[in-house]
This record gives sequence, structure tokens and C-alpha cells, in this order.
Amino acid sequence: MRLLVTTPAGNRHATFVELPRFLSAGDLLVANESATLAASLEAHGPAGTYTLDLSTRYADGLWVAEPRWDPAHPGPMPIQPGEEARVGDATVRYLAPYPGIPRLWFIRSDRPLEPILAEAGVPIHYGYVQKIWPLDAYQSLFSRVPGSAEMPSAARPITPRIQEALEAAGVRFTSVVLHSGVSSLEIETDSVEQQAVYPEPFQVSRSAAEMVNRTREEGHRVVAIGTTVVRALESAWTPDGLRPRQGFTRLFVHPGNPVRSVDGLLTGFHDPVTSHLAMLAALIGLPRVMAAYREAIANGYRWHEFGDSHLILRK
Amino acid sequence: MESSSVLDPAASPKRAPTERVALITGASRGLGYTLAEFLARQQWTLILTARHEKPLGAAAERLRAAGAMVTAVPGDVVRPRDRRAIAAAARRAGRLDLLVNNASELGPSPLPPLLEHPLPALRRVFEVNVLAPIALVRACLRLLRSSRGLVVNVTSDAARGGYPGWGGYGSSKAALELVSKTLANELRDSGVGVVAVDPGDLRTQMHQDAFPGQDISDRPLPDVTLPFWAWLEGQDPSRVSGQRFEAQGTVWEVPA
Repeated sequence: MRLLVTTPAGNRHATFVELPRFLSAGDLLVANESATLAASLEAHGPAGTYTLDLSTRYADGLWVAEPRWDPAHPGPMPIQPGEEARVGDATVRYLAPYPGIPRLWFIRSDRPLEPILAEAGVPIHYGYVQKIWPLDAYQSLFSRVPGSAEMPSAARPITPRIQEALEAAGVRFTSVVLHSGVSSLEIETDSVEQQAVYPEPFQVSRSAAEMVNRTREEGHRVVAIGTTVVRALESAWTPDGLRPRQGFTRLFVHPGNPVRSVDGLLTGFHDPVTSHLAMLAALIGLPRVMAAYREAIANGYRWHEFGDSHLILRK
Repeated sequence: MESSSVLDPAASPKRAPTERVALITGASRGLGYTLAEFLARQQWTLILTARHEKPLGAAAERLRAAGAMVTAVPGDVVRPRDRRAIAAAARRAGRLDLLVNNASELGPSPLPPLLEHPLPALRRVFEVNVLAPIALVRACLRLLRSSRGLVVNVTSDAARGGYPGWGGYGSSKAALELVSKTLANELRDSGVGVVAVDPGDLRTQMHQDAFPGQDISDRPLPDVTLPFWAWLEGQDPSRVSGQRFEAQGTVWEVPA
């Protein structure tokens, strides 16, 4: 697995096991503890048999979900408010489309969907994944709290051995929780500012907030493992540093809304015009993101959640 | 992690959605109707009130078609007799999980500077926006207690802005926010939660009245608040009690 390292000095090519070389003693890596759900279900409704991908749980039996023709063919499907579907032994009812994102719907189930996920769910997958991997393939070393519709994938290449090497180099770890929703919404508008972004559940604990604040006071770097971590940390940011905070965040990190809580990001490679890319641009500016991506494309880096990695350091 | 409840909104057992009851004032149109429709599709039992009988009746009909049990009680929330009828409808439903004080009085349109605000109109602003919500909570308190319900008082950024022209409406909403916080503290041990919710600017008749003759089509429709209401549905009333939320804000925070 390869690692592109983008620093103010430019881009360097490495392999992922070399990650400890690019961090220093005292630096803090922040992971997302959210574990991936088997969130893709089969639904039977007026349109026939189709895929129902759960995105975010709001209350018991109340979710935002994405109905799709099948994994390779997105909606919007011809669904009416009040329409019902059978999912396992549950009846789900479509309440209202998500405002501004007509592919997503609020659904209400007549019973908890978790047991049905456990029995019949598969990880959400799209056309570009050739086969459905077991759920374990969508977890990382840090996955602990089930709730993500899609894998917070940046931490996936960190093996116990790499974590040990990082710790031996004096790099510290802490974690937050952000349950990631479906990621299938890209490229619906021309500019990132117009992108509708939906809220996600997050939690920044007291100990995580304290570790981030201490790291920055000591002049070391805070590096987020994944864009989900940046969203969580930025949502807990105040002018006096991080404070413990939990709830749902609608924060959209883009160049007009700069990143203040982290000095770096370990992530994958993302499609253009996604909210992920907007976040990268917020971190180091669009020209350097574009330069890094040109470098990655020219050198055959692999994209998406099972692809190669990108370490971006601001200093 | 210190607590997982925010990530597991249904940690406390809840009644099935079909058994839940909400009372919404000002429910015939705009924000009140949008929320009523969202709950109706979840098969809540609804008690709806608004001043004008015909639009309220039409709204109730549409919501019944969406699957809800709906009682429409036409009336003015400032009139004690009408409030008694509203509370009686809630008692007949047998419980009250959600009381939404949404009916609001803007005052004269266009909005006058505070010193030119006719005092009778200002009195009505305070009666609708401050006194009626207090009186409705009082009238429904027993039901709210036994259902461990949530009171939502709809507020506005005008409560904090000091915007010229918004002094009457804004000061009444500022009072309502303090009422919410005080009730939250006074009812702390009763299990009843009280929150203030600022829905943000919306494309509604009230917003049009505040800006007569102006194009307000850049404001979002009231359904932009649905994600917030869905989130609030998953919260334990006693946990969020005393908070002020912005439905279009960046973070909906659960106090630690």
C-alpha cells in the first residue's frame, strides 16, 4: 500500500509502513471509533425489489436512508411520501425526502432495524466494488462503536504493527466518534458551497479534547485520521481550543470555513467535487491539493476506500 | 467514552410512535403544518389549533389522509375558553408527549419602530408569544408530567438581535426564551422538558408579513427544519431541557 506525503515542501512517495518517519514524537493521531454497520438492506415495495441503504439513525426506528435501484444504480426512485416497503420482518414508511437531497428519505420503521441489519444487512457498496467483502473488511483497528453507514476508511491500513511503530516513535493516539452517513451524493452541484450536507452524530470526549489542546500547546501536531475526525473536531472547536461536545453536526468544512483544530490529515483519495476534497482545500488550499492529485494520478495511486493513502501536513 | 446515549438515542424505552400525542398551535400552515405533517406520517395522534377554522379543517383533512388521528380545535390561544377546549382535546387523547407553542404574533406589518408600535398591538404580541405558552403548559401540565413530555417554544433570532423594527416581536421572544429556561428549571424534577427552538429564516406567511412586498424566495421552505425535528424526536426531554436550539444551526448539542 502506497502513501503520498504532501507537506509545504511538496509531495513525496512512500509506502504506508513508512508512516512513522513523517511524524514526530509528541504528535497526536486522532482516530474515529465509529464502526461500520451492515447498512444495506433489501426492500420490497411498489417499485419491486430494491436496495435500501441506511445512512443515519435519528431515533429508535427513525432513520435517513437512501433507496436505490441496486448498488450500481442510484435513485432518485419514484417514491411517494407515505409509501411503504417490507424490509425483513419490518414495515418501513417513507416520511419525507431529505430537504435539498431528494435521493435521501426519512423513514420510520415499525420495529427496530438493528436486528434486521444483523441478520440480513450487508455493507453498503457501489458499482466500483467488484464483490461484497465481509463486514470485518470495513472496520479498522479503532472501530468500537457501531453506527457508520460507510467505513471511516482512513484508518484501515493502520495495522497493530504500524500502531506499535508509531507509539515507539513517541506518536500518541486519541479518538472521537463520528458516525458517517452514505457517501453517494457527490457531484450534484457545480460548486462545493452549494452542496447539501446532512448532519452526522458525533462525540468529542473530555479526554480527547484535553489531549488535542495539550498537543497544540506543546507545539506538536494534531493529525486527524480521516475527514470524519476533522468534522468532529471542528464541530467541538472554540476560540479557547477544543471542548467536549456531542450531538449532531451539520458543519461543512470547505475553503470558506477554514480548519482550525488540526495540523494534518491522513486520508484516502477522493473524487473531485466531493465534500472531502473541499475539506482538503480548506486544509492546504486548492492549488496544493490539485498538485498532489496530479502527482497521485501520474503515479497510478489507487482511489476509494480500499485504495492508497495520503498524508497531508500543514507544517 | 463517557456516555453513549447521544449515539444511541433510544436508550430509554419509548412508546411506539403510533401511540404518541402532539399538540401544535398555529398548525394550519407554515412551520406548524410542516411539523404536523412529519408527525402525521409517523402516525402520531395530533391536536392542532389555529385561529381560522377553514384552513385548519383543510389541514386536518390532509393529515388524516397521511395516516394520523387528528383533532382540530379552532381558536385563539390568548382566549381562556379556547385554551380550555385545546387542553380538553389533549385530555381526551390521554397523554401528551409534545406541546409545540408555535403560534406567534408578529405585530403590525410593516414592522414599526418600537416607539411607534401601537400599544394594543404590542400587548397582543406579548399575550400570544409569552402568556399563551405559559398558560398552555399550565393547562396541560398533568398530562405532560404523566407522559414525561417535551414542551417546544418556537423562538427567533430576533430575540437576540435588537434589529430595528423587530423590538416588539423580538422582546416577546426574548421573554419566551427566559420563560422556557425558567420552566425547564422549575420542572426539572417532573420529567417534563422545555426547550426553545429558533427555526431560522423561513419562506412563510409570517416572514412575508415582516418584509411586505419583498421577494423572500431565497429563504428555505419550512421543510428545511425536518432534520432538526427528527433529531429532537430521538432526544430524552429531560436531557435537553433548558436548551435553545437553532434548527438551521451547525451543531445540535446534547448537554454532557
